[in-house]
Amino acid sequence: MKTLSIISKSLKEQIRSYWVLLLSLSMGPFFIFVYFLIVESSKPLYTVLIANNDIGVVTNGEQINHGNYLIEYFKSFNSETISIPFTVTVVTDNISGIESVKKRKADALIIVDNSFSQDIDKRILNDSTALPKVEFVGDLTNTNYLVSAVWANEILNEYTLQATHNKRTVEVSETGLGTSATMSTFDMIVPGILIVSLIMLMFTASIAFVSEVENKTIMRLKLSKITAFEFLGGISMVQLSVGIVSVLLTLLTAIMLGFQYTGSIFIMIIIASLTSLSIIAFSLIIAAITESANEVLVVGNFPMFLFMFFTGAAFPLKSDTLFSITNYPINLQRLMTPTHAISALNKTLIMNMNLSSIIPEIISIIVLTLLYFLTGGMIFKKRHLKLT
Amino acid sequence: MIKIEGLRKKYGEFTAVDRLSFDIFENEIFGLLGPNGAGKTTTISIICGLLTSSEGKITFGSNQGKDPKSLIGYCPQENIFYPRLTCLEQLLFMGQMYGLTSKTVKAKAIEVLTLMGLEDKMNVRANNLSGGMKRRLNICMALIHNPEILILDEPESGLDPQSRILVRDFIKVIGKEKTVILTTHNMDEADRLCDRVAIIDHGKLLLLDTPQNLKKTVGEGDILELVLENCADDVINQFAENVALLSMNIKINAESVWIKHANIIEKLPAIKNLAEKNGLTISEIKLRENTLEDVFIHLTGRNLRQ
Repeated sequence: MKTLSIISKSLKEQIRSYWVLLLSLSMGPFFIFVYFLIVESSKPLYTVLIANNDIGVVTNGEQINHGNYLIEYFKSFNSETISIPFTVTVVTDNISGIESVKKRKADALIIVDNSFSQDIDKRILNDSTALPKVEFVGDLTNTNYLVSAVWANEILNEYTLQATHNKRTVEVSETGLGTSATMSTFDMIVPGILIVSLIMLMFTASIAFVSEVENKTIMRLKLSKITAFEFLGGISMVQLSVGIVSVLLTLLTAIMLGFQYTGSIFIMIIIASLTSLSIIAFSLIIAAITESANEVLVVGNFPMFLFMFFTGAAFPLKSDTLFSITNYPINLQRLMTPTHAISALNKTLIMNMNLSSIIPEIISIIVLTLLYFLTGGMIFKKRHLKLT
Repeated sequence: MIKIEGLRKKYGEFTAVDRLSFDIFENEIFGLLGPNGAGKTTTISIICGLLTSSEGKITFGSNQGKDPKSLIGYCPQENIFYPRLTCLEQLLFMGQMYGLTSKTVKAKAIEVLTLMGLEDKMNVRANNLSGGMKRRLNICMALIHNPEILILDEPESGLDPQSRILVRDFIKVIGKEKTVILTTHNMDEADRLCDRVAIIDHGKLLLLDTPQNLKKTVGEGDILELVLENCADDVINQFAENVALLSMNIKINAESVWIKHANIIEKLPAIKNLAEKNGLTISEIKLRENTLEDVFIHLTGRNLRQ
């Protein structure tokens, strides 16, 4: 009987805390839906660039360029002829191709050697010492590069087999951009973990905002001469410093455990600071819709999981581009600032790229941060700071 | 000092404050007396600026043009402070929120802590204070920016006797140099402390005057209270009829009867005889002066705790 009473009482309490119950019950289905939206509904697209340096060869008075034939052969593999979405674009020189790959506008660059036709020709004449040379260039930490390179290698071998009737005649060399060639799995995951350390700021920042509401000290602040901007700004500054300390501690731990990086720590701190501000801004939205630290812990799980698992912070993720702004692709994940932050950190710490190369990411983080702040500030002011 | 005109606050169909109009004078201790839910806290919240009124106007007399936030110090009914800050730290913080310099606010913080007997607790975290000390710290928080008007919501609620005396003495002292508005449902608190008391119920002003004048509204003389033991209603009613024949006012309550007369002591033997004659069992006889509670009962037919 007592147990029944406990069940009845506990059930009533649980149902009356419907907000917590609803979030707990909907979390699993929600993430299945989001995952479907981001991954299952999107189709991967592998973009390969080819720089043809082949000078060609004259055979029987006819100028032959196997590099050009190879490009045509690559182009014949499209969505209608093979099952993978594979696009090939010709670039005029190696440098512009490398820049595009660095900026992730393409996944891989194939450089056809200047003696490619000569070597193919020799192979046709059964000179086994001749080796047509092709170089694959890309970010070895990028899974898209790996898939592109595998397919490109298959197509390349198929072409040379048809041209020379010899198997595996091409000498393929691989050049990893930045430090990607020498990076370990640990090195590859560290930029994401650095961002995870900032995502955790979501809880401390939300609780810092909401504790004024929970302790009712917000009433004292409302009576004083402090403005909403001063109040929110003051808390944000403390949280910003917590974020920077957190990311530096994480980096220090990673370095002590063997993390190798290139690029500037100063740029990394800029990225970390902007990301911290964006997380703090997002925390303001959480604080605005909650009343206590307990509620923050329940409600905050939603965005925390989204930010951790759907931005590439915990593992790489790819989805369709919704639209592009000056060649910078925008997709669902890019509505969350950690996606841009990870992209910027990868460019800096792995590709050794400079500040100007991450301007699109920085602009995206700033725009989204302002959007978060504006939304959170408005709701917080309306719910917690406005006179009734 | 403060002029309140036609103040009204509605929450949907419910009217919490219903067209209140009164003046509060400079350097007086003004009490808002009423039962729980009478509209006291809503009224002072509007005066403070924490709530907006649905209708009406509040003007701050000679201080027009000054920021009301600087004029008013508000001590809510609930203890509100930063639990992880020490007494001194939170007073310094709140002072700075009102735009005071660090030097000024530190001197003021030590002054108010001393005034409230908390000088030896200034470096103790607020959550480590006793209940009475927390209440006193709550008052210090209202005083830190040296306001001209101090608003205290139920200042004695939850206080131990020692703290109650301290707070009461403090209010008397501070009332000589500041305007103090206090809300209470404690008639004794209002009677002892206030220069004038406004009795409100259901958001309406019932009476406003000095405690002495308010008590006169229920007539001159003292009240004799007879606490009864297991008496049938018809016995009590018969006794009440006989008492009324002796030109005395009688009021029947749940477990007692109150008899009022200008010279009640002289009438005591006669009352005792009547009680015995009517078979009334009296367990206790109390003789007391009129209180503000009597005024409230006279006005509403209910006591302040109902």
